[in-house]
Amino acid sequence: MIRRQDVRDRLRLNTELATEVLSTFIADAVETTASNGVVLGLSGGVDSALAAALAVRAIGAERVHAFVLPYHSSSPDSAADAASVARDLSLTLRSIDISPMVDAYFDSHDKEADQVRRGNKMARERMSILFDQAKKLGLLVLGTSNKTEILLGYSTIFGDNASSINPLGDLYKQQVWQLAAHLALPQQVIDKDPSADLWPGQTDEGELGFTYEIADEVLYLMFDRGLSPSEVAARGYPEKIVERIGALEERNRFKRRLMLIARLSGSAINLDREIPRD
Amino acid sequence: MNIGIAQTDVRLGALEDNLEKHLEWVKKALDRGVDLLVFPELSLTGYRLLHLTGRVAVRPAGSALLKPLLEASRKLALIVGLVEEDGHGTLYNSSLLLSDGRIAHCHRKLYLPTYGIFQEGRFFGAGRTLSVAPWHDNVLGLLICEDLWHPHLARSLAMAGAKVVIVSSASPGRIGPGATPESQEVWETLIRSTAIVNTCWVVYANRVGWEEGSFYTGGSLVARPGGDVHCRAPFVQEYLLTADIDLREVDRLRWRLPLVRSQRSDIEGAP
Repeated sequence: MIRRQDVRDRLRLNTELATEVLSTFIADAVETTASNGVVLGLSGGVDSALAAALAVRAIGAERVHAFVLPYHSSSPDSAADAASVARDLSLTLRSIDISPMVDAYFDSHDKEADQVRRGNKMARERMSILFDQAKKLGLLVLGTSNKTEILLGYSTIFGDNASSINPLGDLYKQQVWQLAAHLALPQQVIDKDPSADLWPGQTDEGELGFTYEIADEVLYLMFDRGLSPSEVAARGYPEKIVERIGALEERNRFKRRLMLIARLSGSAINLDREIPRD
Repeated sequence: MNIGIAQTDVRLGALEDNLEKHLEWVKKALDRGVDLLVFPELSLTGYRLLHLTGRVAVRPAGSALLKPLLEASRKLALIVGLVEEDGHGTLYNSSLLLSDGRIAHCHRKLYLPTYGIFQEGRFFGAGRTLSVAPWHDNVLGLLICEDLWHPHLARSLAMAGAKVVIVSSASPGRIGPGATPESQEVWETLIRSTAIVNTCWVVYANRVGWEEGSFYTGGSLVARPGGDVHCRAPFVQEYLLTADIDLREVDRLRWRLPLVRSQRSDIEGAP
């Protein structure tokens, strides 16, 4: 029987090997698609910092284009942390204020929009800018969503979850932290409370109602190992939290399968004709 | 016999690019005095083909694609992987042994993994025959990847005279807490146990590179008769691994450790 301690051991990564392999993932994708490099948004958080560090290892700083994309309510600490990551990695960091684009829509069409809708709009505005920059310079958009948030659906569909390639999507949050420590990313970036910074004071763990440590372990048992919620709870996890995590995972599956096409022809894209990309 | 393993990356579906790359590896191998150069599974086509499988299929007899390789095989023998079309509506995941300008042997993969991320059974037919390659005293047996997980195949090859079992592979990697990729630990156990119980050389040629977000481990290796690791290639990067293989080592071991010759087929309840 897999015990809680086994789960913790299991989530510990060989960081050196993982770093090497994930770096080759980025290098390979850039080479295969004949791109000039990658572009990503640096939020000041640990996920984008790690993605940037891996990209720099893979293809060199001069081919990694980093943007900080603040909204006027974004915490100034976020931009400062992004700047410190960029400095550490010798990246040129460009800043584009997304406030005019986001405000233009809500001010003229929907002044009453709540903060979740505004947050989604911000995430999609950032995505839109990153894909435009990618088009301009022949780059791939580097995704920074980790496995925990993808499984929980703690993301904006076609926003922060959109990318050309994602080196972090099979890493639970604590594995992101492990790799970030291994790559000696700025300590304050590793230590701070994860936050989407879509409104003042927002933190992931506050909003989700459980810690990443718990989320990673519960998701590992349910998703990776196929245990039922009651089997997970029997390992000493609070039943209510296990249920909530299970519900989030189920409710947000739609965010993980882009392009759901109604099949008519018998040769539907992705269902009947699975044409792989290299 | 000087065996080379081309631990190469492969471009998915790009036959011409891959052919060119094969010829580059041949050049490198010739410089290193290799007699037999082994490429990984589906080395000419890439592995995760799905609905591209039919588009890259080749009928080996008279194939223009194979011509330059057959030409090269006059200088050194080659084992290459491709999608073989039989002309009767079935595609096979095959390894070809090319030697002296001709196709000396064809092994069609016998066990097609169709679980987890593997989809082979949807696109390929399974081979129906197993035999040692009719080449150089019939000491060579060919298997492809999953075939090694069914140990009676390597055993059958050994009993038919194989002293070297060649395993061409496209094995994807997984990483956990351990010092080596987890997938590699399993493979190494299998390869070494095959070399132990069949008292033969085992040559494992695995590819590197990425396809659809999954990486191939590399970590190609050669195990000696008796199971020690003779030499190994690094993980993840392209590498030409060469090994001087003494076939007499098999004989010497089998004289004192008669595991193959003592195999019985008359035990009720055992195949």
